[in-house]
This record gives sequence, structure tokens and C-alpha cells, in this order.
Amino acid sequence: MNAPATAAPPAVRVRDASKLYASSGGELNWAMTGVDLDIGDGEFVCAIGPSGCGKTTLLNTIAGFIQPTTGRVTAGGRRVSGPGADRGVVFQEYALFPWLTARSNIEFGLKMQGLDAKARRRRADELLALTGLSHAATRYPFELSGGMRQRIAVARALATQPKVLLMDEPFAAIDALTRTSLQRELLRIWQELKLSVFFITHNIEEAVFLAQRVVVMSAHPGRIREIVDIDLPYPRDRADPAFGELYARIGAAFAQTDEASA
Amino acid sequence: MSAALDDLRRLDAAPRPDAALDRRQAIEQDFRREQQAQRRRGRQRQLLLGVAGVIAFLLAWEIAPRVVPGVNPKMFPPPSQVAGVLVDMTFRTGEIWPHVGASLLRALWGFLLGATFGVAAGVLTGRNATLRQITDPVLHGLRAIPAIAIVPLAIVWFGLGDLSKVMLIAWGAFFPVWVNTFIGVRDIPVVYLRSAAALGASPFATMVQVALPAALPFVFAGLRQATAVSFVVLVAAELVGAEQGLGFLISFAHLVFRVDIMFVGLLYLGAIGFLADQLFAWLLHRFFPWYGADARR
Repeated sequence: MNAPATAAPPAVRVRDASKLYASSGGELNWAMTGVDLDIGDGEFVCAIGPSGCGKTTLLNTIAGFIQPTTGRVTAGGRRVSGPGADRGVVFQEYALFPWLTARSNIEFGLKMQGLDAKARRRRADELLALTGLSHAATRYPFELSGGMRQRIAVARALATQPKVLLMDEPFAAIDALTRTSLQRELLRIWQELKLSVFFITHNIEEAVFLAQRVVVMSAHPGRIREIVDIDLPYPRDRADPAFGELYARIGAAFAQTDEASA
Repeated sequence: MSAALDDLRRLDAAPRPDAALDRRQAIEQDFRREQQAQRRRGRQRQLLLGVAGVIAFLLAWEIAPRVVPGVNPKMFPPPSQVAGVLVDMTFRTGEIWPHVGASLLRALWGFLLGATFGVAAGVLTGRNATLRQITDPVLHGLRAIPAIAIVPLAIVWFGLGDLSKVMLIAWGAFFPVWVNTFIGVRDIPVVYLRSAAALGASPFATMVQVALPAALPFVFAGLRQATAVSFVVLVAAELVGAEQGLGFLISFAHLVFRVDIMFVGLLYLGAIGFLADQLFAWLLHRFFPWYGADARR
């Protein structure tokens, strides 16, 4: 499922990206080295790996929150020099603005674009309907469950109609049952809106359930270990033997990275 | 016919589902009633004991000057006498109101002025490192000076009128608001800033629409502290020189040796301070419903 070799640039292209950090003690640490990755238009890519493997660093680089020490990142053919509304981001938890209602949170990006109140409200209501939370529009984040909060966070990130959705362990703090339904919903939205998704997880099953390609990363220094294609049709069945095979294969790659970093 | 059949069914089907439901509802209702009664008893007890405490205190105060030898009731007026003067000044002559009004206006304007500059300075120095580094030594140096020590200087500069009081209160209110806002803005969770950036917010929009609301719990802590400071500075300024105001009333009573009037002034100051704080808490709850919940999480 690699991006076709046409003239159109991929949704995201990362070339030889590395990031060097200095700890407060002055010690240097390569959080990420020599990362090459293309995310095609409409492609769903998961990144998985132990802590310190640089998966969040990679996401932050694509989002434009940090600049790579070496290498370059482009989104839609344009060099990434900072965060922008063309790349939506969903964080792990507690990223909704607690002083805004669910609807106002969704409207925030549109307000920044200078949309008038009527248009903002119409778009926010569409997104509330898309995420099945029309009844919670006037509630504050503290009045929402963890699963509802993450749905609103997805809706907020989608409001500005980004081409790419970057998700940093968005369902890690959600209970298993709710997580399963959120995963199904995410796939539905991804297919409906034809988005490119880059999704970080530490859960192999989640990666196999969601992604078309899984990027397995390893730590010290952070780098890409292997990229596994998941050629299973959607919707996927966790009981399918092919699902188990891919799970085992990624698990094995994971174990290798553990040995390598131990 | 069908009613009769129903009756029959009710008799033979032993654990009917809605019978169980009825039973559960009855238990729930009893439980709820018992809980409410318990809570009511708790509240009544608290109120009763609180009132008893106040009465005991007033009684001790009333009796002490009469039974303890060598106490001059003029120096230590009992509550009955203070109450009489209080009612007189409040309702009969109404002479307290100009003092209350003058003090409130000064406190309000001074507070608003100081808080406005405090919030602005806090947001700016919290968001802009260069500005922070330039202003840090000066602001922290000035903050170390007790506000009351500036009273004579303010009188020299702004005279004995309202202006010097307002400026002094603004000065006193500025620092707690500034420091708290600054800390709140500096320590905003980075996900808020990143969310704003990813949603295309400009630096100015981020400052006003993200940094400031995110820091609101801290801003409010600063504002609350500033109300208390405002009253301290207000009274200090009025004691030194004024023609009106509760501080002036107390110092005037001192000159004419009317301790009971002093007490009236103190009571009004206490009541105003208390009400201001309550009003503050109410406004907070009314306009920022997410505030408490967010602070708890």
C-alpha cells in the first residue's frame, strides 16, 4: 500500500530525520536517527515501539512542534516549518480546553481561521453528529467521560479539514471496551473522509486492527526497525488466524527491539 | 374479566418482576429519605453550634467588663453598647454610609486598576522570555517593599485625596495578581499550547484565548489575595490622612476617644471583606463552571 509513484507528493514525507536532545546534565541523546517514512494520501500508518524509540518525536516533527536536527519533513509537498491546520493532532489525554464547551472546543480552529459564528456552528454540529455526540454539545470536558473527550478531541482536530491526522496514543488511557468502539469509529471516519492517519500506539493489537502499515521502532537510538504491511480487508476480525499471524510477527519484531535495547 | 385474570396471575406468579421493582423502589425511597434527614440534622447541628459559639462569645464580652475589676467599659464597650451605636449610625443618623461609600469606591477603583495591570503584566511576562528577563529584577525588587511603607510617598505625590488612596491600592493589588498570573501562564500544560498551534492560532490569539484562560485558576488566586491586600492598604492610607472612609472613622474615633465607634468601623470592615470574598466565590462559580472541576482533576 505504498504511495503510487506519480507526480503527486505523498501526504507526508520524512527523509533522514534525526533529533538530538541534551539532557539537563548536558548529556546528549539521539531521540530519533535516520528516519525515512512516506505516508500516502488516504493511508493509515501506525507506529509502535518501546518508550524512548522516538515515535512521539517523529509525530512531533511531522506536526511541526519540534524541528529535526537533520533531515527534512514535507506535508503535501510543502516543507514543514511549524504547526498548521493542514495537520490535525489528537493528544493522549487532557488536551481539550477545559474552559470551553465541547462545541466551542470543536469551533476553536475555525474561529482561528476567522469563520463567522453561523458557519462555525454548522460545521461543529456536523462533526458532533459524525462522532455521535450531538447531545453533549454544551457540556464541558469535565462533564464528559474519557471516551467522549477523545471523540471531541478527534472532532476538534478534524474541524479545519486537515489532510493528515496525527494521533499520539489517543486511546491509551481509555478502558478496553470503549477503546474497541473508538477504534471502529476512527476507521469509519478515516474511510468516510479519506484522511491520511499517523497513529502512535504501544498496543500491537490496536496497530494490527487499524493500520495498513505498521512501523516498528526501537530505542537507543530511536530508529525504524521494520515496516510491516497489514494486507487484511476492513473491517478486521481479531479472531481471524491471519490477524494472529501478523500480531505474532510484530510481537517478534518487538521482542528483537527489546533485546537490542537491553 | 382481564382484570380478574391479572389478579389471578399476581397471586400465583411468586417473584413477579414489577413486584421486585416496586420493592426496590420503596427501599430506595426510604433510603433517600433517611439520607436527606441525616444531612438535614447535620446542617442543623452545625448551624446551632455556630450560633451557640457566637452567643457565648458575645456573652463573655458583655459580662467581662462588668465583673472583671479595673476594666473601663469606655475602653472595652460591651456588645449591647456597640450594637446601639451601630444601629444609630446605620439607620437613625445614617452617618456611616458616606464612609462606607468612600472606602468602597477607593477599594474598587484601586483594585480594578491594579488587577488590570497585574493580569496584563503577568500574561506578557509569562509568554515572552525577553520581557520577563528585562522586568524580573525591577518588579521583584519593587514587590519586596511592603505596600504600607509607600503611604507617605503616595501622599507627597498624589495628595491627601482619593487619588493617593486609589494609587496605593492599585500598587498593592498589582503584585499578587501579577505573580500569580505569571506563574499560571508560565506553567500552562504544553498540550494546550500545541493544540492551539496545530489549530492555527496566532501568537496573540494563543495569549488571549488559550494562555489567559488556562491560567485563570492562578489569576483568581491572585485576585482573591489582591482583594485582601486592597483592604489592608485602604485602611492604612485612610488612617494616615483622609476626610472620609472607614479608616478615617476609626482614627477619628481614636481622637475623640470613642472606642464604640471604632468597633463599628471594624465591624463594617470585617463585613465588607467577608462579603467581597463571598461575591468573588459566587462570581467564579457563576461564570466559570469548569473552574473547580478543572482544579480538582
